[in-house]
Formats: sequence, C-alpha cells, structure tokens
Amino acid sequence: MLLSYPNLQGRYDELFAAPGRPREPWSRLFTELTLASVSEIGGMRAAAERQIRDSGVTYNVYADPKGQDRPWDLDVLPLIIDAQEWAQIESGIMQRAWLLNAVLGDIYGPQQLLREGLIPAPLIYGHSSFLRPACKSEVPGKTHLHVYAADLARSPDGRWWVMADRTQAASGAGYALENRLIVSRTFPHLYRDLRIQHLARFFATMRDSLLHYAPKGDGPPLVVLLTPGPYNETYFEHTLLSRYLGFPLVEGGDLTVREGKLWLKTIGGLRRVHAILRRQDGSYCDPLELRSDSALGVAGLTDCARRGTVLIANALGSGVLESGALLGFLPRIAERLLGQDLQMPSIGTWWCGEPAALRDALQRVDRLVFKPADPANGFDVIFGHDLDAKGLVEFRKRLEARPEAFVAQELVNVSQAPVLTRDTDVRVEPRGIGLRVFAVATPAGYSVMPGGLTRVSSSSAARVVIMQRGGGSKDTWVMSPGQVDTSFTLLRTTVTPADLVRAPAGLPSRLAENLYWLGRYQERCDDIARLLRQTLGLKLQDSDDEENAQQPLQELARATGLISDDDDIEQALLTAALSVDEPGSLPSNLKSLQQVAFHLRERMSLDNWRVLNNVLQDIPDSDEQEVSTALEWLDHVTVRLMTLSGFALDGMTRDNAWRFMSIGRRLERLVFQCAALQCAFDHDGTAGLTWLLRLSDSAVTYRARYMTGPEWLPVLDLIVVDASNPRSILFQAKGVLGYLEVLQTAYGPCGAELLRDHVRFLMEMDRGQHLNPESEELRDTITGLRSAALELNDRLTQRFFNVGQARNWSSLRL
Amino acid sequence: MLNGNSARYRVVHETSYKYSSMVTSSRQIAHLSPRETSWQQVISHELEITPNATERTEGIDFFGNHMVSLFVDEPHQMLIVQAESEVVVSRYAPLPGAASPPWEQSLAVKGEWGPGTDLEIESYRIPSPAVPLLAAARAYAAPSFTSRRPWLEALLDLTQRIRKEFVYDPEATTITTSVEEVLKTKRGVCQDYAHLMLSCLRTLGIPARYVSGYVLNRSRADGTKLTGADASHAWVAAHCPGLGWVAFDPTNGKIADIEFVTLGWGREFLDVTPLRGVVLGTASQQLSVAVSVTPIPEPASVARA
Repeated sequence: MLLSYPNLQGRYDELFAAPGRPREPWSRLFTELTLASVSEIGGMRAAAERQIRDSGVTYNVYADPKGQDRPWDLDVLPLIIDAQEWAQIESGIMQRAWLLNAVLGDIYGPQQLLREGLIPAPLIYGHSSFLRPACKSEVPGKTHLHVYAADLARSPDGRWWVMADRTQAASGAGYALENRLIVSRTFPHLYRDLRIQHLARFFATMRDSLLHYAPKGDGPPLVVLLTPGPYNETYFEHTLLSRYLGFPLVEGGDLTVREGKLWLKTIGGLRRVHAILRRQDGSYCDPLELRSDSALGVAGLTDCARRGTVLIANALGSGVLESGALLGFLPRIAERLLGQDLQMPSIGTWWCGEPAALRDALQRVDRLVFKPADPANGFDVIFGHDLDAKGLVEFRKRLEARPEAFVAQELVNVSQAPVLTRDTDVRVEPRGIGLRVFAVATPAGYSVMPGGLTRVSSSSAARVVIMQRGGGSKDTWVMSPGQVDTSFTLLRTTVTPADLVRAPAGLPSRLAENLYWLGRYQERCDDIARLLRQTLGLKLQDSDDEENAQQPLQELARATGLISDDDDIEQALLTAALSVDEPGSLPSNLKSLQQVAFHLRERMSLDNWRVLNNVLQDIPDSDEQEVSTALEWLDHVTVRLMTLSGFALDGMTRDNAWRFMSIGRRLERLVFQCAALQCAFDHDGTAGLTWLLRLSDSAVTYRARYMTGPEWLPVLDLIVVDASNPRSILFQAKGVLGYLEVLQTAYGPCGAELLRDHVRFLMEMDRGQHLNPESEELRDTITGLRSAALELNDRLTQRFFNVGQARNWSSLRL
Repeated sequence: MLNGNSARYRVVHETSYKYSSMVTSSRQIAHLSPRETSWQQVISHELEITPNATERTEGIDFFGNHMVSLFVDEPHQMLIVQAESEVVVSRYAPLPGAASPPWEQSLAVKGEWGPGTDLEIESYRIPSPAVPLLAAARAYAAPSFTSRRPWLEALLDLTQRIRKEFVYDPEATTITTSVEEVLKTKRGVCQDYAHLMLSCLRTLGIPARYVSGYVLNRSRADGTKLTGADASHAWVAAHCPGLGWVAFDPTNGKIADIEFVTLGWGREFLDVTPLRGVVLGTASQQLSVAVSVTPIPEPASVARA
C-alpha cells in the first residue's frame, strides 16, 4: 500500500520521520495499513462514503456545476498529533484568542492601539468589516470573541504557524464532529488504544459558556443559531450544530426587536432571545444600521447589541480581525497588552500600506503570495511565481498604485500527510495539509477543541497556502496525555429522562408557515395533476359519456384558475400541464413547492429531498407538447407526489410541525373537493359521475362496494360523508378540526368553531334526505366549508405566522 | 442680519412617505437634530412623528452626531417625520484671502504610525463605499493643487471649479449614482457634488468629511438664489493643520459659513442620511420632503459682539 508513497524534499512529512520509518504516533496506523489488503481498505473507504451520504453531510459550492450540494469530502486516514505537541498548539491558541479578544475590545472601545499607532488607523477604518455602529457596545462579559478558529500549517522544520485568524463566524467545528463520528467507527480499536481525546466536551463548554455570558430575564435563557439560510455553503453544519447544541436554527426573519430586546417569533407568541450564535457575516445582520441591502438581517439588532440585551457570538464587527494585514502587527500588540511574546508565530505577513513592506515586497514578488487586505477589495490570491514577465510588470504597477489594498505573505511548503486515493486500486498518497483549530471563550479562559478540521489540498501538486475550494478533509486525532475521559458525550449524559423533549416549546412561526405551505402546495400539485390527467385523458377517448364529462372538468379547471374563459381549451390545458412560466400551471406550482421545501431542508431526509429535487424532471420540451407526452409526464408527477406524501406519513413525528403541514394539506384538499362537488351539482345528471369518482381517487372503492354505475346517493356517501375515505370532504374537515383542537389546548382558540357545525351536520345528517344534489342543506354546507377554509387560512396566518409580522405570503391564491 | 457675526434660524424639515398599501410597522433612524458645535448653538429642537412612535430612543453615533431611533408598531399608509429646530450660527470660516500653509502639509506622512495619531482626522482620510479613491478624481483635482499652493486657495479653487464645470441637475442622478459616473456626465445634485469633492480630496490624501444640513433660502442682491435651499443640503469640510476643519460648498462654489446650518457629518451620505428606515409590508413608497430655513431676529441676549 505504501510502496508508492514518495518522500518529498523540502516538506515535513506527518507520517514518516525518515523513509520507511513512521513517526511514533503513527506507527499503529502504519502497521494496520501495511497489513490490510487493498479490498479491506477499499471497504473502509466505501463504508465512510456511505455514512456521509446517509447522514446527508454536504457542502454547498456556489459555483459548482454539479449542482448545489456536494457530498462532504472526507479522507478516512486521520491526522495524528501526540500529546506533547498538542499542548504547545493549545497553549499558543489560548494566548492568541485572548489577545485577539483584547484587540477587539480596544478597536470597538477606546481605540488606544490606534492612537498609539500600534495598529495603523487606516487598516481598521478602511476595512469593510469594521462596523462603526457596533462601537461602544455593552458587550456581555467583555467577550467579543466567543468562537475563534485559526488556520495552521507546518513548515519544513516541523514548526506550526498561524496562516490566518477566523474571528467572524468560523465554520468547520461541526464538520470536525461529523468526521470524528465516521472515522472513529472506521478505526474503532486504534481510536481507543491510542487514547484519542473526545470532542463532545468542547461543544458542551461552548453551550454552557454562551448560557453563562448571556444576559438574563424574560423567561429561561434561549440561545439561537442564526443562519443566512439554505443557500449558504455550510448550511449543513448549521443544522448539525443546531441539533447538537440544542439551539433552534433561525433566520433573520424569525427574529424581531421590541423595546431594545431581541425576540423569536413562535407560534406561541414572542419569546425573548438571550444569545445568538452567529453564522452570518456581521455586516448583514441589520438592514437598518448595517448593510441596508441585506434581506437577511434583523432591523434593530445593532441597537440591542449596543444596549447589551443580547449576546452575539461573535460580537458584531469581529470580522475586522480577519484582515491578514493585522498579522504583522500582533507581536508588538502582544508585548503591549500582555507583556509577552506570541507563543505561536504568524507566517511572515506584511501589509503593503507600509512603505518599507512595499519596497521589500516589490523586490521579491516571485517569492510571495498576495492577498487582499480586505475581502471587499475583491480579488483572489495571487501567487508571485505564477506571473510571467508581463504579468509581473502589471502586478507591480497594481501594487504600487494601491499598496494599502494588499497583504504580502511568505510562501510556505506546508507539511504532507497520507490520503487514500479515489481510484479502485486504493493507494496511499501524500497531500499537503492545513489544520483549522477552534477555541471557545469560557469564564476560565479560552478552551481549545482537542482536535480540529484537517484540510487537504485537492492534488498532490497543489500548494496549500490557502485551502482551495474543492479540497478534502480529515479527522484530527489528538492523543491524550493520560486516560481519556470517556464519561462524557453531549448527547448521552446531559439529557435526563426529565429533560426529554417531546415538542420544542416554540415552533418558530416561519417554520410553521413553511410547513403549512408545503402541505398546501403538495396537495395543490396533486389536485391539479389529477384534474389535468382526467381532462386531457378524455381527449383520447370518445364515448358520449366521457364527452359530457368534459363540461364539468373544464369548469373546474376554470374555477381553480388553471385555464381562463376564452381559451383554446386543448392548448390551454397543455400549457397548464407543461409551462413553467405560466402562473398557476402545474410546473409553476411544483416550483413553489420546491422553494418552500428548500427552506425546510433540515427537516427532510436525503431521499425525500432527492424526490423533491427531481420533481420537475422529464418535463417534455416545448416542441413535443402533445396530449400523449403531457399525460406521460402527469403520470410521473402523480407518482412522485405519492412518494412525497408517503415520506410525510411515515417519516414525520406527530408534533405541531406535522400538524401544520397536515392542516395545509387537508384545507387545500377540502377546497378542491368542494369545488369539484359544486361543479358536479351544476351539471346534475348530464355528465355522469364517473369523472367525479376518478378525480376523487375513489373509483376503485366505489366499484368494490357497488355493482351499479355511479349514482348520486352512493357517490355522495363515499366522497362527502364517508369518514374512512381519505378523499372525502368529511375526512378533511374532521382532520383539520382535530388538529385545531390540539393546537387550541396550547395556544387558545384558533378557528375550530368555523368548522364545528359543518362537521356535525355531515356526521349526523339524515342521509336519505340530504345525500342528493337537491338538498339545500348539503349545498349550503359545501359552500360554507369552502369559505370556512379560506377564513381559516387568514386566521392561521394572523394567529401563528404573522407574529410580529412575518413574511408576506398573502399574494398566494387559495 | 447676516452682516453681523451671528444669525438665528428656524428650520422646519418635513419628510413624508406615502405607501401604496398598508405598512405594518416601521423602524427609522433620524439624523435630523442640528449638531451642537463651537459655532452653532441649538436653541430648541423637536422631532415629531405621525403615527406616534411606539418606541423612541436617542443616542450619539460613531461620528458624534445626534441620532434618534423610532419604531412605529401600527399599520399605516402614511408616515410623517417633522423636525423643527432653532439655532444660532456664528461666523467661523476663515476669509477667502486668509493665510494658510501649502496644501501638502495636510497630507499624512505615508506609512508612519506612532503615538499621537489623531483619530478624528484619520477617520476621514480613508475611502468609503460611496467615496472611492480614483485616479480620475486625482486628475480632475490636479489643476487646483499646484505645488505648494496655499491650502485655502487650492481648496477654494477646486470648490469653484466644481461649481462652474458641473451642471446642477436633479434628473441626472439617483442616490446610487457613483462618483465615476458623476465625473463623466458632469451633472448631479449637492450630494453628488460633495461626494465628488470628497473623492478628489481623499485621493490626494487630504482628510475630508461629508456635512449634512441646510443652507439659507435667501435671495441675493442680484436676485439669484443659492442652490440647494428648500431642501436638505450637503457640503464638505476638510482639515488643514493650523486652520482646523474648513467647510466648502461645491454646489455654490464658496466657503460655508454663517448661512449654513449643520445637522452632522460623516464619511459620506449614508452615515448621516436624514432619515433611513426599514418598513414591513409589500408597498411601494412615494417620498416627499419640504424644508424651510427662516432667519429670525435675534433676541439681544443671544446676540454677540
């Protein structure tokens, strides 16, 4: 396996001390790899990949041609670090986090470092992440930097260096956790025997610390995880951390500010938020005082931060420290603030805004890497030695014109570690690696995660000065100096039976609203698909009876807004079935369904998501829009929608989330069935009733029960008052009523009374008297149910979704 | 009255938003209170909002300006914010012919930072989103900044050139029009003039800030009116060693003095927007602004020698 592993000159090799001689911490892994067969190792790799797929670990890449989500790229061979070496890293990171926190305190407070010239004022004042409105905030516990990450790399002499500081909203801790779950299962014995330190305590510390620092008042402390939403490249990690830490995952729209405090909009009303774990860039957090073009933020959040009524981790404006330009100034700042040397040095980095640094950089452009001093400067990293003669001249000009926009950094040959290749004859190859480590603020100082996210360059030739998109990752194993404390895992020991959560206290309003609309769109698509299938299907047959059924079906299509009055009917039906751009068409509704579902990603299994993702697949091209291709497509859609409702039925817990989805579904179907029945009443007798049975998916049941053709009494019994038929009107109305009654016990009246009399009538009526189209009472009840459904939609919206005014969905038709 | 050394004004600034449909709530930040300075005394100030604000807090922003946060938590289709202030402004500007050092002296010594950095000045030397450093701005400014020309003379020359060479045209630009475009089209309003001049000065390295306020609506002896009156106005203040901050109005081509009422300053328009806000609802809005600046006779007690 390891025969082809080259030992490169000029690089530190993590595995080998000398050719063929593994370093001490690696010797066990080396032996296992040497003894294992290619197929055994291939099996390990495949098992890990399967786990990643099953748990849906993804990383979104904005510009990824393969589509939005990419499976997480994990190499199963861990990076192993011994206890002694780790102690040095740990201590260096603790010191650095402390220092950076103090720098933030100064930048957003007295600005003494700027006055003394220890940090050039233009570096801070000119940085897009320096948020002026966050100055002089009451920062809880004077802690700006709660979660800190550093990107480390090892130089050929074996020393670790800091390549970059991550102070904004560092990603990766959650992926490290996921990597651990998978890799510790891949090498269970090795993991135990090497006494690898566990990660769970780090997350518990993070949770406890945030709760400790959070301001108090207005009920039990609530910490939320603020995400920019499913489009973010690390959204998976947000959902994972939210579940693992027990912090509700929220978007800006879920929060609102009242009286200088922050609140979460839930179906039970507003709930005070005491702390935010922020995964959104600071400047996007408040459209009122920060970036006004941001739709992601919470208007008024900055004001809460200034008053100190909410802990924001990390504090607004902390991203300013991510400027590489600061690295070169840190040693003097450490001396000034700590009276100490920096334990862990930064890689040689110079801000070109200093004339001396500029002169030096100009002289050796080819040996340096150039980065923007502010990401807002908008250029990528430039490797000096990649530039040809002409490029060099041009770059020098750029540099001289705006030196303050550039940071020059020493090019490092980072260390290499073994990875398994992707091909079938699995080999072990060396790849450049970098290590992201994490620290969290606690009242007793910073606590460092014993491990981290090892990032792997995408090819053996790649220079890993920055980890490029497309690289992979590894688990990081830190050996324990003594016994591993195994008494502890976050999930097992902190939840006692008394803490068991059956229903999260406050389902966020936005979530409830999205679930409700998921139910409605799913059902609406299903109804439309069935209606179109029937109507277009009749075109291919030609019995008189069927011909007559065209009338009520077309009328129903008009009543539901699928086609309009003076259309060429066939063309209109085809458009309704196939045109994505036509408002109200099946494809446009499927798109709306996808959109709503997208915002519920974290609540769906990967399989469920895959079906949703493909729901628009195979739609016939515009040049083959004929009745037969349309019918084929409608069949596909109907089957896919059935699969989706199966997921909902089988895969979801019967909690309030499920109830909202089901209410949406039942209300939509209730309206549709009532409309269908009204069309049937209007065409009494002339059109037959077969179409109505088919449309109601009840033809099979009818045939099984009755030998006769469709007649009013048995048909109405089946599709109106038979509570065992999931398509009947009573079934929908009773279902909604039941859900509303459950919600009512927790949240007070929410509209059940709108349905109660109608349901009672349907259940208790004299069937002989009322189950016929002439019955005024029956007709009134159907009309009444239809308007009750519309009224209920408004009630639910006001009562549960528009808590403190949620997003406006009212433009959607019912 | 303006012949004296101070003047008293009443300023009424009414902003109203009309929405096409109901807005459920509205959060606004107002920079509508005149700033207290060594040359400007605020006698009275009142800010009224209709409908009534559910919440109202006052504070000082990063630049030292007074700001008011307002929250209206009731459905409304019209929002009116009215600021009424009375101020006394004293003469404070140097005379156009006053002595000043060569303009190069207001530049930072490049690359040297040490103890005693004056952050109040450094804050305004850097580019900002609407005021980029531009080669084109440097080129435009160059004829005014000949070697060792006295600072005041150079700045006044630039101020007057902008006034002469640009056309005041409210139709030509919007609040998102960039300095580059303004330089190309040579058209704009007071805000564009100010941003352009700031870009010229900061590109050269001279600290310069954006000033928001009002200019007296007064007919001159020749019957012309100062441009920018009957609206909120904007101009520029630049820093000169020895002279301190001197204000220039490129829209009117002059040094700003006793005819100008200062609301506040920042790096650019967005820092001191008179009223900015976020409303909840799906409405489109129609904005109208009315400003009046009226000189009032000064009671003897306030008048100065």
